[in-house]
Amino acid sequence: MSETCRFESDVLRAVEEDRWTDALREHLTACDDCVAAMAVAPWMERFAKMSDREHILPDPSVVWLKAKLLQNTAEANRVSRPLDVAQFLAYLVVAGGWAGLLTWRWDALMAWMNSLTPAGIVQTAASRTPSLSLSLVAAVLMLASITVMLALHTILAEE
Amino acid sequence: MTLPAPLLAEAKSRTGKPGRPMDEAHFETFYRRHAGGVWSYLFRMTADAATADDLLQKAFFRFLRANPSLASEEHMRRWIFRTATNLAMDHFRETKRERTHTPELQGEAGAPSEPRAVLRHDMMKTFSELKPRERALLWLAHVEEADHEDIGEALGVKAKSVKVLLFRARKRLGELLTKKGLAP
Repeated sequence: MSETCRFESDVLRAVEEDRWTDALREHLTACDDCVAAMAVAPWMERFAKMSDREHILPDPSVVWLKAKLLQNTAEANRVSRPLDVAQFLAYLVVAGGWAGLLTWRWDALMAWMNSLTPAGIVQTAASRTPSLSLSLVAAVLMLASITVMLALHTILAEE
Repeated sequence: MTLPAPLLAEAKSRTGKPGRPMDEAHFETFYRRHAGGVWSYLFRMTADAATADDLLQKAFFRFLRANPSLASEEHMRRWIFRTATNLAMDHFRETKRERTHTPELQGEAGAPSEPRAVLRHDMMKTFSELKPRERALLWLAHVEEADHEDIGEALGVKAKSVKVLLFRARKRLGELLTKKGLAP
């Protein structure tokens, strides 16, 4: 049985008013719940009445304002969540792009780097062949542009 | 943490329509009527005024987010106590200092009567020696006069367990009072 004992409120009132009936006294001999309630009720009552007057509660208008600000922040976070996901995906695409490009055309890029040395410049001029293919240059430029745009977007978004 | 059932659901079930957000004047009235009681409860639970302030505000933030305009005053009051209980329990779980903190008596240095401050300190200390759930049970049962179902909802236990838990909490407080010579 989960219900409060039906005599409990009567017992608590009797404790408060110090007015006991024979029926209540008899009930106490058989009800452990009421005995336990009776034992702590006066103390709990004094404890509850302990003055909190010296404490000033937060002002309701401040609570209201903060709640509204929190709601706006939560709403802004909710709206910006797809953008955050898109930004994260863009990071992955750019990182993957650079990793793919470096893996795929590592030899060509290294050869191009070597051609930037004085000896390499002379050799390239003599052979009259371009050291980098047009498609590779285009891929590098495209990835570099996307990287810069992403970085700028990140910085501006944070600001 | 599981949030209590949204007030909006009750409002909707009562009217068939979703509730309008509570306006500031209505909120202020409700706050002035109930914030003191909720704060007292949180202060007795945590024994720290700053924490009680913080949890009180969080409880009312959640209250406003729940859009409670059409729920009854009694339902709103029960809801706010339930939320306050959840927040206090979460606080204890997070800080893991359920029985190690000492009651705060800041601001009582200039209290008008010294014996009153001492009595207050002793009472807070005694109550702090109980487990948080025991404190909540005793306060909700004795001060808020909540029924077992409400207490069970607030504490996340079955209503039929409340009777046993409350009995144990009373026994424990009774033992503490006897030990300290405070029993009636």
